[in-house]
Amino acid sequence: MSTPLSKPQIIAHIQKSLNYTVFDSKWIPSSAKFVCLGNFPRGTGVMQIYEVQHGEAQLVKEVEKPKPIKCGTFGATSLQQRHIATGDFDGNLNIWNLETPDVPVYTVKAHKEIVNSIDGVGGLGIGDGAPEIVTGSRDGTVKVWDPRQKESPVANMEPVEGETKRDCWTVAFGHAFNDEDRCVCAGYDNGDIKLFDLRNMSLRWETNIRNGVCCVEFDRKDINMNKLVATSLEGKFHVFDMRTQHPTKGFASVSEKAHKSTVWQVRHLPQNRDIFMTAGGAGNLHLWKYEYPAQRSKKDSDDVDVGVAGSVNLLQNVTLSTQPIASLDWSPDKQGLCVCSGFDQSVRVLIVTKLNVV
Amino acid sequence: MSAEAIFSSQSQPTTVDCGGKVPVEHLDYDYIEKCKDVKYLEKILGVLRSGDMGIYPHLISFCESHLEKLDPRSRTLRKESPVATAASLSKEEWSQIVDELKTWQEETKKAETSLKKQAMFDALVKENMAPVRGSSCFVPLSQNSVPKGRTKPSKRALPRNYREWDKFDVEKQCEKIDENVISTDPPTIINTGNPKIKTKVDVSMLQQQEKVLLANREKDKGNEAFRANDYEEAVAYYSRSLSIIPTVAAYNNRAQAQINLKHWHSAMTDCQRVLELEPGNMKALLRRATVYNHMGNFQMATEDLRMVLREEPQNTAATKLLSQIENKLSECQPEQQRKGKKILIQEVEEEDDNSNDKTKAQQTACPVQPSQPVGGEESSATPAERGDMGNAQKKPHGRGDGGPHSESNNSHHGHWRSKGGSSDKYKVTQESKEKVANGSSKRGSTASVQGDQSSSGKGTPVGGNAAETVNLDAPCGALPPPLARLKNEGNLLFKNGQFADALEKYSQAIQGYTDSGLDSPEDLCILYSNRAACYLKDGNSQDCIQDCTRALELQPFSLKPLLRRAMAYESLERYKKAYVDYKTVLQIDISVQAAHDSVNRITRLLIEQDGSEWREKLPDIPLVPLSAQQHRREEPPSAEVLQARAAKAARDAERKAEIRFSALKQEGNDFVKKGQYQDALGKYTECLKLKPDECAIYTNRALCYLKLERFTEAKQDCDAALKLEPTNKKAFYRRALANKGLKDYLACSSDLQEVLQQDPNVQEAEKELEEVTVLLRQSLANASPAKPRKTVPITEVEDDEATTAVPNCRGENITTNLQPTTAYDFGQSLNAARCSKNTVACAELLASTAPEVLPQYLSSQLDGHTISFIMQALDSHLLEKDPNLVYQHLNHLHTADRFSVVLMLLEKDERRHMTQLFEHLSAVESTEFTKNDVQNLANKYI
Repeated sequence: MSTPLSKPQIIAHIQKSLNYTVFDSKWIPSSAKFVCLGNFPRGTGVMQIYEVQHGEAQLVKEVEKPKPIKCGTFGATSLQQRHIATGDFDGNLNIWNLETPDVPVYTVKAHKEIVNSIDGVGGLGIGDGAPEIVTGSRDGTVKVWDPRQKESPVANMEPVEGETKRDCWTVAFGHAFNDEDRCVCAGYDNGDIKLFDLRNMSLRWETNIRNGVCCVEFDRKDINMNKLVATSLEGKFHVFDMRTQHPTKGFASVSEKAHKSTVWQVRHLPQNRDIFMTAGGAGNLHLWKYEYPAQRSKKDSDDVDVGVAGSVNLLQNVTLSTQPIASLDWSPDKQGLCVCSGFDQSVRVLIVTKLNVV
Repeated sequence: MSAEAIFSSQSQPTTVDCGGKVPVEHLDYDYIEKCKDVKYLEKILGVLRSGDMGIYPHLISFCESHLEKLDPRSRTLRKESPVATAASLSKEEWSQIVDELKTWQEETKKAETSLKKQAMFDALVKENMAPVRGSSCFVPLSQNSVPKGRTKPSKRALPRNYREWDKFDVEKQCEKIDENVISTDPPTIINTGNPKIKTKVDVSMLQQQEKVLLANREKDKGNEAFRANDYEEAVAYYSRSLSIIPTVAAYNNRAQAQINLKHWHSAMTDCQRVLELEPGNMKALLRRATVYNHMGNFQMATEDLRMVLREEPQNTAATKLLSQIENKLSECQPEQQRKGKKILIQEVEEEDDNSNDKTKAQQTACPVQPSQPVGGEESSATPAERGDMGNAQKKPHGRGDGGPHSESNNSHHGHWRSKGGSSDKYKVTQESKEKVANGSSKRGSTASVQGDQSSSGKGTPVGGNAAETVNLDAPCGALPPPLARLKNEGNLLFKNGQFADALEKYSQAIQGYTDSGLDSPEDLCILYSNRAACYLKDGNSQDCIQDCTRALELQPFSLKPLLRRAMAYESLERYKKAYVDYKTVLQIDISVQAAHDSVNRITRLLIEQDGSEWREKLPDIPLVPLSAQQHRREEPPSAEVLQARAAKAARDAERKAEIRFSALKQEGNDFVKKGQYQDALGKYTECLKLKPDECAIYTNRALCYLKLERFTEAKQDCDAALKLEPTNKKAFYRRALANKGLKDYLACSSDLQEVLQQDPNVQEAEKELEEVTVLLRQSLANASPAKPRKTVPITEVEDDEATTAVPNCRGENITTNLQPTTAYDFGQSLNAARCSKNTVACAELLASTAPEVLPQYLSSQLDGHTISFIMQALDSHLLEKDPNLVYQHLNHLHTADRFSVVLMLLEKDERRHMTQLFEHLSAVESTEFTKNDVQNLANKYI
């Protein structure tokens, strides 16, 4: 346990009220700017760029789009271009150049229904291999896109004919530590978590956490998969140790009931994979640290290796608002700086102190 | 949760069950204090907080604190707190955060703009990317529908469809699975793909900024892996980071990871790299110490740790490791002593023999003398000889003796040096020297090396290898047999590592000596010195100092007691005294490496301790008179040994002087190479004081005089050299140059002819001769001291004597017209000088140019480089000699055409030269210009 003095503090630095519902907010890499994606009351989509300046968030640019934008990522773009890939309510995947955001540089009708979640890898120097974007949609499919290939996805993960389609709520890349290996993890409304191996194009592992999976994230995308955090609808989150996959038991996990309501988001600190923040339905943020067990694997009764889960430590928790916090994003450049947006129509820039000493 | 379980099982009021209700009487300080059931306490707290039973804030906080004691991680204690704001932090903290944020914003802004500029690289980057995945692969959501060709039929539990999941009972399923685990299950997949991680990152397409980012990220990944105890992975990521940008931190971290992996050698290289990049890096030192410790190199480990502790005396890790190592060292001490005995026996024993067989020693020593070439023109031999000396010092038995004996000795040296105090090396040094000096040869030998052998023969009578056969009754100087025996016993015990016993013997011997009323201070001195050695070994520094002081009273300036006392002082951390003693040792014998090392070490410490004025706080360093150096063993009045002493002392002095001589000469040569002729001159002059009949030094000094344009002195030196060596062509050549400088062309030409007669291949001489002939004719024709039209600069930069066997290099002979009469001449000369970066030539050129005409000469070709070059030349060469001229030049230079334009175009570096020059100039005191003048002038330039 950290002593009170070295305990990280979560400080609300900037709060900005918006005139639309914001679904996602993302830092623009290598800048002090962030993008807010959302939905005007009149039913159109909006994309705003803010710059953090003198303790305020200054609106730099605003573009209106025909369809509400649900989610965005910079994960598959180069540091020089910094194009944002977004998914909208209509199932479109668009890539925008933020300098000229009027026309997308890439567009595809990715899904039949809303794109719930998007993630990218292979850009920004994170993850070896091709730049790829994964989208998860209410239509039950998870598709992987390469911005260099128009029209069709490079991988499509969908239920076979006759299978019930479940709403895919969240997707995440991981395991991209060399040119070939790559995994996509998807979470569904029924509590399913599926891990797809893109190298072998197969389902590698699946489990169910009983409640809808709101968010999954690997602690780092560009390493040999290490940990996966999945948050659920009823306020629990699970941390899976992804190092040891038992043939039947799968991955070891530890779960923690953190919030009294849905845990909407989990985001790992880019500078330290063992620290992550969860954002809850009651407008609160919890900062956690994962502690590894002494031995990460042991032999079970049949002399087969089985993983051992560690434990999670609450470092700090604060309440920001009465409304759910729906998105959270750490600045990739400045440790401790993060932006979050909630259904109270506001976006906040937070500073978390003393992250380097926990 | 597990903690709770434990607590509840131990709970005092065993698990309370009140139908889920908390009775009112439990809401009580006493009850809560006694209650150990965390869950129940949580319940109580819930009731209290709810306020159903009334609000008791103190009771609530009491309950909370009690609960925290039992289970600090209890969820009930988690309180929803509002987010902190700027106001909830102290002012300093907040301003620090804001400042940090501000600088970050500024930095990123800059970074962003530069990033935008680089968009053109995108095309290149894309080429480097992995190809697009085979298009639209279909991945089924469940495995039962996987086409067979794609995946191996797996024996995993079949995935269910979603409906089934609704009815799914995890516990049951788990039990089921546990029951029928079949051994044919596919093996556990363990994701340790370290070998698959590339340890190099291709960053050829990236900008510096991106590289920094990437390198940091890889390092972070390494750190994380390290924390998760994945050391191999950590090493892989650190390597990746290093392949992008090598940083101290990454090397340091990789070293630690390698240490954890027990890859000592890799760890060592990493530590070394850090120390190369950043000498004195604490972490690297500490880690290197750890590595040394594991590799068994305790001495190096202790050294590193000491260094760390000097910087950070509170470093607990270092302290701990050090004590560990010291324990280990003391454990294997006895063994080491046994190993080192042969050296010790020599050390002690040869002292006994000091007074033995002196005449023989004399005989054997003398023939050595002439066989030693003493530097000079045949200096190619000098290093070899010096090497010999070094050899002899380090390995007294290194040659001739051969066989296992010599080998074992060599290994002892290594051993000693690695293990022992700083003086160990010296002990050997001195021994061997003394051996050479007074070597009581039982075999009789003529060469110095053989002298060494023979002295080793003493320790092992008649060349025998067994040190055990030491004759305990061997006579010792003027000591009567019983005392000599005591002393020999002491020596034997000492060499066996029984220091306490040896101490006793020596004490007895000293007692016996005083009782017997003998008058042989030298022997007493040796006894004290030997006893001091015992004390030193025992760590009894105080007594060691006392004995050394006594020994020194008896025989001032004798090396061993001084050195031992210095070491004792050092170990007592009385650095000032230690410093003085070491310095004295060095005055007596400059070649004592251990003393050099220690002096360096202590200097650093003293600077730390006393700041820059540390020297002023030192006690006086006794000046060792030359006589004391040379005759330090001559004082003992014992008449019968006097003769031998004298011979030995002479021999000693010879050696000392020679060492000093060669050191001085080397320094002189170095100065010449650096172009610091004035300093070189001083060194050579000192050399000549030691050895007035050294031809090479004269010629070298002549060169310096020539460079400094002191032609008369140069000529005198050449004359002296020629007196010693009537055919020295260098002397002739240099005398020629000197004569030329003195405008005595006739003498010059005859000298040159002499050179060419000896060696027709000397091209410089030929060239010179041609020119001088022209000059001679002119001067004869004009019958007046003609203006020399052309002078060849004396640019024999590398003096040939300075280095061994370096062929005459003429590459740098640049013909520069030193006395130009036209702008063209001047320009040519200046360009020539500039092309070769020869500031000396430029300085000479400027010296011979009238400041008034400088702008004229320069006018057409003034550019930034020229200005800067002139500045450099003025600064580095002319300023010292003639600041007035420099001032004059500067005063006129700025009137040159285009000056102001050129000035604007100067580069940073060039400006720096200029500023430097003016700084130096303003520091010069002169009658012709004041500081104000310089300032005014500087304003025109800067």
